[in-house]
Amino acid sequence: MSVKAFELVPAVERELLMGEKARINIECIECCGKHLYVGTNDCIIHHFLLEEVTSSKGKLSYLAQKLLHKYLGLKKPVAELRAASALERLIVLCDGVVFLVDMVTLETVPSAAGGGAKIRNVTGFCINENPVNGDPFCVEMGVLTSKRRTVQIYMIYEDRVQLVKEVSTPEQPCALSLDGYFLCLALATQYMILNYNTGSFQDLFPYNSEERRPIVKRIGREEFLLAAPGGLGMFANAEGVSQRAPVNWSERVICAAVCFPYVVALDESFITIHSMLDQQLKQTLSFRDGHILQDFEGKMILASTKAVYVLVPLPLERQIQDLLAGQRVEEALTLTEGAQRNIPKDRFQILHKRILQQVGFIQFGQLQFSEAREHFRKGQLDVRELISLYPLLLPASSSFTRCHPPLHEFADLNQLAQGDQEKVLHCKKFLIRYLEEVRSTEVVNGCREDVDTALLKLYAEQHHESLMELLTSDNSCLLADKLPAICCSSVHLLCLGKIENCQDLLLERATLHGKLEEHDKALQILVHELKDFQSAESFCLWASSCQDSTYRQKLFHLLLSVYLDGNHCGRSNAGGSGGEYDMAAVDLLNRHGEVFDAAQVLRILPESWSLQLLCPFLNRAVRASMHACRMSQIGLGLAHSENLQLLHDRLEERKKNIVVSEKKGCHLCHNTFSQPDVVCLPGPVPVHAHCVARRVRDSPTKRLLANSSNHT
Amino acid sequence: MKKPDVKVVLLGDMNVGKTSLLHRYTERKFKDTISTVGGAFFLKQWGPYNISIWDTAGREQFHGLGSMYCRGASAVILTYDVTNWQSLAELEERFLSLTDTANHDCIYALVGNKADLTDLKAQLPLDLSGASPASLSGTGLHKQVPREEAMALYERILRYKGLDEKSSLPAEKMCFETSAKTGYNVDTLFETLFDLVLPSILRKRNENLVSPTVDLEEYREASARRGKTCC
Repeated sequence: MSVKAFELVPAVERELLMGEKARINIECIECCGKHLYVGTNDCIIHHFLLEEVTSSKGKLSYLAQKLLHKYLGLKKPVAELRAASALERLIVLCDGVVFLVDMVTLETVPSAAGGGAKIRNVTGFCINENPVNGDPFCVEMGVLTSKRRTVQIYMIYEDRVQLVKEVSTPEQPCALSLDGYFLCLALATQYMILNYNTGSFQDLFPYNSEERRPIVKRIGREEFLLAAPGGLGMFANAEGVSQRAPVNWSERVICAAVCFPYVVALDESFITIHSMLDQQLKQTLSFRDGHILQDFEGKMILASTKAVYVLVPLPLERQIQDLLAGQRVEEALTLTEGAQRNIPKDRFQILHKRILQQVGFIQFGQLQFSEAREHFRKGQLDVRELISLYPLLLPASSSFTRCHPPLHEFADLNQLAQGDQEKVLHCKKFLIRYLEEVRSTEVVNGCREDVDTALLKLYAEQHHESLMELLTSDNSCLLADKLPAICCSSVHLLCLGKIENCQDLLLERATLHGKLEEHDKALQILVHELKDFQSAESFCLWASSCQDSTYRQKLFHLLLSVYLDGNHCGRSNAGGSGGEYDMAAVDLLNRHGEVFDAAQVLRILPESWSLQLLCPFLNRAVRASMHACRMSQIGLGLAHSENLQLLHDRLEERKKNIVVSEKKGCHLCHNTFSQPDVVCLPGPVPVHAHCVARRVRDSPTKRLLANSSNHT
Repeated sequence: MKKPDVKVVLLGDMNVGKTSLLHRYTERKFKDTISTVGGAFFLKQWGPYNISIWDTAGREQFHGLGSMYCRGASAVILTYDVTNWQSLAELEERFLSLTDTANHDCIYALVGNKADLTDLKAQLPLDLSGASPASLSGTGLHKQVPREEAMALYERILRYKGLDEKSSLPAEKMCFETSAKTGYNVDTLFETLFDLVLPSILRKRNENLVSPTVDLEEYREASARRGKTCC
């Protein structure tokens, strides 16, 4: 299960660093703000200014500007570089000697100017990032020398370098890290923690440093990350206790660092990224000739033997959304909750609530109702977000609009269930239970009417026994809506038999017929028995409110024919005159002209009607037809021009030259080109032919195709 | 991340079912597990307390990490397989010394897993007396480790630790036979241990109270109490 947590961005390309010289390798790096120092095996320190550039599309890149390089004159590789920024010096290890150079000029600081005595016979050193000395202009350093079984602690001041402690170790130390008074050491056969102030020590675990290069990496206050047998990354604190479960690396990991909540490890061909929250491998990036991985003030910098890269973390919110898009709710929640300490409290709470709600909707879509309910509850979901998924449940008067960006991808319940009526029913039952639960809590403050009305409608529709209980108890149901409020008449579904012959409930009967899609009968009642033309029109609008335009047209034609029939058959038991229906028909046409199919209407209208009478209707009909015609012409024109534009672009792309040289790198594998045959991706981006082939082979769509072809 | 109040560690040879036991207890399910790499832990909320349960790797390769996992542990669950005599012997030979780093008042439990393979009663999740044995499938494997052997080892562990038998928890209480597959005795095991380590949690909390960090809530309560005794 992968997630895109980081992006590898080139920082200093090979050409800028060593040009065509083949034997030059990067040995060490140091980054301090925008200043990047690179030490190479030809005894040179290179100084770059690294500018972060964000493109208009939000893509990050780095622009390296070479400021200076300096030959140290020792003919040996520059083994280590550390900045002491308060002192404006670089601590350099070269040829077994530690000395200081100026951060700007890269000139060796002479002893007279505070350069201090050189420390000789050094095999390795580290800086204390949690110093015990309060002086900000003092750098504490742990040093390994060729002197057997000792570690030395030095303080580097502006004007002197001072040995403050020498501690002996049970075996020869080969790697070290320092935090406060705690030295974390890799010895020949084991790791240990040593307090150089008290002399107390704690064995950690055995490790054969001859088989594998040990890793001792301080990752936080009194916590270290160590390479353990079996390719493990083990955590240990200063007390010698592991507070996190180990991560499972490859056997060949050479460097590791932490960028919360991830552990990044580098071996010769890959960068692997594990989560510290669930110990799972989250991302793997291919990286040839991996050599160095270090974090500088939160910035992850990598180097191959020839070039420098930055590993840029993607925003946490985006990682979480990616996980949610893949429906990986557990991981998304773990990542969110794990980020608590890295995000300001108020922002975290908003984020956390939103993620909980999104998770709830994903589980709702999978019909995992108990989990969904729990997450809706914890995320304090505005219930109307849920109600609005069910068509027609929110009262027409509700002011609710769904939040943006949306919490889920569903348009409504019908889309979610994809026609499966059983699913719809399960969802409705869940909503009933959920609304029953929340209606008396403060979650529904400010939308009590919406909630109670929705519940009432659901009860009525499901013939639920609690219907009367709800109506007779304290409630906020909106019963006022006339026709559109289906709930009012739906109440009578419960006593269907009674209503059939009841003359006082004509309106309700009409609505009932409407609900059963017997629009014909409904309109007959409304027009002939109630003579409520206004309601008849409203009925057509309501009954077609969630349908397409042809459905609405059908209803209006039906109403028109009821009017016209009433006129011609003279069917009027309440003494309605034919003229009354005529007028209703004319009013209907003139008011809703755009809904009708004008040609069809003209065919059925009585010959005797004057043109003047229908003037508004005809005007609208002609206008609508013109409008439709012109709109389609515009559409055609736009499509034509887009087509031309694309043709133009294509020709332009074809004309472009692409320069391929041995110095250029393939964007897929970052290796250089050795042969002239390359494949050009749009951009134009030249890449190796085999890289493209591999990419196509490994792409999910291709795999899908391969699978399907297997079946046929 | 919640800070655990107390640590419980599962130790034992590979394939005895440590991961399955923990999985059965936390997820209420039995599923195929793969050999644990390095170790893993689970945080269990027990009333107001957080208990971290560490599942260790039984493979020889990771043996060296055991002492580190056991450091500061309040309870260690020494797990063997009732159908494999060697797995009990390994506990004494290889694993017991790893517990040297545990707390001095650490509690030890001996757990024989896979009891469903040898005992009819373990084929049901709980000890249901009266269930007809006929409804259960036959027991295929020979039980190699009688509970008495485990109890004898428990006594030897007490002696190894230099603990007085009389003042320590009795073997009868601390030797379990479980089945991660059916769930037999699994809850009992963990819950018994949690109840027993509670005093250790409370003691640790009290130790923290005398730490230089001033807990304002606690201070207020204490002064209120003192107020009463004065007047």
